[in-house]
Amino acid sequence: MSHSILVVDDAESILFAIRVFFQAKGFAVDCARELEEAEALLANRTYDAVIVDLRLTGFQGTEGLEIISYVREISSKTRVILITSFGSPEIEQEARRRGVDAFLHKPVALPDLAMLVSSLLVGSQDDAGTLQVAGN
Amino acid sequence: MEDESLLAHLLAPGSLRPVFQPIVEVNASLPTIHGWEGLIRGPAGTNVEGADVLFDYVRRKHAEAPMDRRCVETILDAAAKSCVKETRVAVNVHASTLGRDSDFVNWMIGIASALRLDFRHVTVEVVEHAPACNSPLFHTALEKVRNAGAAVALDDVGLGQSNFRMILDVKPDIFKIDRHIASGCTADPHRQAVLESIVGLAGRFGGRVVAEGIETIDELRTIRELGVALVQGFLFSPPRKTTELDPIASVAAWRSLLEASRPTVSRSTPPAEFSVRLNERPGSRQHSRHLSVLDGANRPTIDES
Repeated sequence: MSHSILVVDDAESILFAIRVFFQAKGFAVDCARELEEAEALLANRTYDAVIVDLRLTGFQGTEGLEIISYVREISSKTRVILITSFGSPEIEQEARRRGVDAFLHKPVALPDLAMLVSSLLVGSQDDAGTLQVAGN
Repeated sequence: MEDESLLAHLLAPGSLRPVFQPIVEVNASLPTIHGWEGLIRGPAGTNVEGADVLFDYVRRKHAEAPMDRRCVETILDAAAKSCVKETRVAVNVHASTLGRDSDFVNWMIGIASALRLDFRHVTVEVVEHAPACNSPLFHTALEKVRNAGAAVALDDVGLGQSNFRMILDVKPDIFKIDRHIASGCTADPHRQAVLESIVGLAGRFGGRVVAEGIETIDELRTIRELGVALVQGFLFSPPRKTTELDPIASVAAWRSLLEASRPTVSRSTPPAEFSVRLNERPGSRQHSRHLSVLDGANRPTIDES
C-alpha cells in the first residue's frame, strides 16, 4: 500500500511541484491551501506524513505551527516536516516543542525532500521515538 | 488558489451538489417512503467533495450560517424539480445558524414558497457539533418552523452535542439515531439497549425514531423488533441524484426486504401517539402523503391519501 502525504502550502506552484514529484514516486498526495482545509482533512483521514509551509497567510502567519500541534493532537505516528523561507532559531525551537519531525529552510530540492520523507517513514516503522533529523 | 477562495467557491451558486436518500416506513407489511433527506456533496475532484471534510472545513471557517443557506436553497430547489416534492424533504441546519441568524427561518419559508414547495412537507434536521446553542433566538426559530407546519428532527441523537440537553431544547418530532449506534445492533445487546431507550424516550416526547445506517436484513429485523418504524440506509438506497430516483420501482423492490426482515419478537411498543399529534396540528398535512404499493396485482401505485 502506498504512503499518503498531505502537503500544505498557499503557493499553487509549490503544491503542483510536490504533488507531481511524489505521485511519480508512488505516494498518494493530498494538497491543502489553508489552515482550516488542512485540519478538516487531517480530522477525517490518516496521513503518513505532512509537509507544511510555515506561512499560509501573508507575511506574519505561523499557521504551520498550528498544523504541527493539530497533527500531534490526533496522531503520534504521522511525520511532520515544516518548510519555511523565514526560519529563525525561535521558530525552529517552537516547532520542535510542538513535535515537528524535521525543519527545512527553502529552497529545498525535491529529491532531498523525498529522501527525508522516506527516511522518516522507514524510521517510523522501525522506531518512531529515535528520529533525530530536525534541523537539516 | 488564493486564500479564502475555497469558501467563496463553495458559496457560489451551482457549486454544491444535492443528493437524496429515502427515509422508509417499515412498520407495515408494505414499505412506504416517509420522505427524503437532502444531502450535500462538494465540488467533484476537490478535498471537500465528501460531506465529512466539507462540513468540517465549513465549521472551522465559522461559516455554518451562509453554508446552511446555500445548502437549503440547493436542496429545496432540487426537491421542487423532482419526485422528492411528492413526499417530505429533510434539510440539515446547524443549531448555531438557527440561534444566530434571526432571519433564517423566514428566508427558508420564502425560498420554499418561491419554489412552490409546501413548507409543511419540510423537516428541519437540527445538527450541531459545537456546544449547545441555547439562545432565545434558537427557540424562537424552532417555534417559527413549527408554526409554519414543518417538522423538527434532531440529528445524531446520542452523539456529541445531540445530548439530553439538546433533546430538551429541541423537543424533536423525529429522533434520528446515528449509524454508529444502529450499525451492528443485531449481535450487540448494549446497542439494542440504547436503541430501545431512545425509542422509549421518543415515545414520551410524542416523537418518532429514524434509524440511520441500516445496511443488512438482520439489522433491519432487529430495529423493527425494537419498535423503530423509520429507516434510512444503504440497504434501501444510497444517496442519489434526483435524476436517478425512481420511487415507484424502489418501493416495489423493498417489499422483499420487509418480508425478509419480519420481526420474530416484539420487544417494544412503537409510539402510537406521534401520527395523531402531527396530523392534528392545525393546517398540517405532514405525513399524509406517501408512496405506497397498493395495487392488487402487485404493481406499485402512488397513494396520496
